[in-house]
Amino acid sequence: MKEGLRQSMAWVHTWSGLLVCWLLLLVFMGGTAAYYKHEITFWMKPELHQAADAPSRVTPAESATLAVRELQQRAPNANAWYLDLPHERNPLIYASWTNPPRKGMTREERRAAFRTQNFTLDPMTGEKTAAPRDTRGGEFLYRLHFDLYYMSAIWGRWIVGVASMCMLVAIVSGVITHKRIFKDFFTFRPKKGQRSWLDAHNASAVLALPFHLMITYTGIVTLMFMYMPAPTKALYGAEQNTMFSEVFPNAERVKPAKEFAPLADVAPMLVQAERAWGAAPSRVVVINPNDAHARIELHRPAGQQLSNIEPTMTFDGASGALLSGPKAMSASLDARAAIYGLHVAHFADPLLRALFFMCGLAGTAMVATGALLWGVKERQKYAKVLAKGGKVGFGVRLVDALNIGAIAGLPIAFAAYFWANRLLPVEMAARTNAEANVFFIAWGLAALLAQIRPTRAMWRVQLMLGAVLMAGIPVLNAITTDTHLGVPLFGGPGLRPVAAFDLVVLALGLLLGWAAWWLGRKANKQAAAGQPANRAQSAPLEAA
Amino acid sequence: MSILILGGLALAFSGFAATSITMDRHYADIHGRGKEASRATRLRLRTLGWTGLALSFMACIGASGWHIGPVLWCGILSLAAWSVTLLLRYHPRKVMQGAWIGLPAALLTAALLLR
Repeated sequence: MKEGLRQSMAWVHTWSGLLVCWLLLLVFMGGTAAYYKHEITFWMKPELHQAADAPSRVTPAESATLAVRELQQRAPNANAWYLDLPHERNPLIYASWTNPPRKGMTREERRAAFRTQNFTLDPMTGEKTAAPRDTRGGEFLYRLHFDLYYMSAIWGRWIVGVASMCMLVAIVSGVITHKRIFKDFFTFRPKKGQRSWLDAHNASAVLALPFHLMITYTGIVTLMFMYMPAPTKALYGAEQNTMFSEVFPNAERVKPAKEFAPLADVAPMLVQAERAWGAAPSRVVVINPNDAHARIELHRPAGQQLSNIEPTMTFDGASGALLSGPKAMSASLDARAAIYGLHVAHFADPLLRALFFMCGLAGTAMVATGALLWGVKERQKYAKVLAKGGKVGFGVRLVDALNIGAIAGLPIAFAAYFWANRLLPVEMAARTNAEANVFFIAWGLAALLAQIRPTRAMWRVQLMLGAVLMAGIPVLNAITTDTHLGVPLFGGPGLRPVAAFDLVVLALGLLLGWAAWWLGRKANKQAAAGQPANRAQSAPLEAA
Repeated sequence: MSILILGGLALAFSGFAATSITMDRHYADIHGRGKEASRATRLRLRTLGWTGLALSFMACIGASGWHIGPVLWCGILSLAAWSVTLLLRYHPRKVMQGAWIGLPAALLTAALLLR
């Protein structure tokens, strides 16, 4: 080997990072937002805000009884009922059910039917809340970050999986190639061109390295049965579902007896579970309701362990007797559940969740600065050509344009998604698809304009547009709903997620605005210093 | 518990601050060009710095247990490291003064942990 390890790793780092960085920006932004997917969904369903305003004063047992009474009327013959009871991140009672599939129903039809089989109860009054508008809310952003969109989820997951592997390679090779990882640990030197971008890249990467390594690795593990099917195939052949039901607890389903038996009262079961766990169950699943083989599963709320598989207590739905406590899991399954749990962070309390969000933003910054750094470095090779009024090469132009489209364009798409939620007619058909389409139309336009004119002016226009759209969301919310920023800030705790959402997008908008202002100031300085470089080809981001 | 977490954050900040001000570049930023920390100062501050980080780990374990505590600690370390980095750039002397917050934080954390 002629070159040293460090130089060869620099090459690996550059290319494994650059090839996938724009997709990674989407994944990082979507995933970071997904830490607050419940809060985002709640913000996107303003019809529910009023019911959540007053704090819940009924006990979990009473909530469950209310919901079961309603379900008995609406879906007595369902396959299963699912209840989400009020807790810290959820002010309302959510109920949904699945019906036995009719013969010949496609997967899509079953999904569409399931989307209509739900209702929301106000825990204060036990009444149904106003029907919320049709939106996927934060779930869209969560799915987007590993399923992508406009393609089958399988394709999306393979593409994201390949990008994640590249990211893992980029992280490891980046650490090896970083010459002064300890000496430069706390170093940030602004206003020094390439040096500053490198410092920012290092600070966002190295100082949150445990998070970046963890989130990339655990992200790949969450889909390991898809990426590495060989072991399952070798042991189970085509019967992959057998593996799932053998390995995972609660995956096996009890067959109905087809014999009526009245459902036992759930309230005492909830009391018993609360006594055992010290916390009331957050989720109740009733399998085969009103059948002699009915089962009632109570799930412990997240927050006490890393694992994403919470212990459950199972009761016989006909007799009300406790059948089993938590099933013991094998050590390897426990390890996988903890790895999975680390990625989705359901255990995180508000402070820890905020830290995860902050690290997610740092990851976004790491990818963005890395992408910019390539452009800044590569452009130097064209210094002489540019001085003579020539043009940069195709590669630099392409990367500049993609950078604008992703770094400045994606915030526009996110903001447009939230604007669409408030502005599209509530009664519109296929409303969820329309919201998603707005996201991609906005992003597509931004990316296209960036390809046509990848200039500093384009950076400023798009950053400014993103800033106005983001920071305008609280205003939009105040105009289109009754829950303007003042109400949740001084009202009950149930509306705090709405206020927090408004404040976070406002802060992100201000950040984008600051970036646009900073670029403008630099352009003015350069103009004042008498460097009216060729506008179309002036270095979009090099420090003055 | 949130007091323990605050203690942990203060200790992490203080730990990083103590370690960073012995590093050549930052020492020169604070004390003037070309100045270097003496061996004894370096050893003393580094020991204190690592002790602070270790105590901050214990504070996180005390606050959130062995499952979630280490995760919390990682997040707190990142937050503290970014604060030190920015402060070193814009107000380097404040890092030296701010490092003292580790002393009361250490006492408070020890008291809460041994309680």
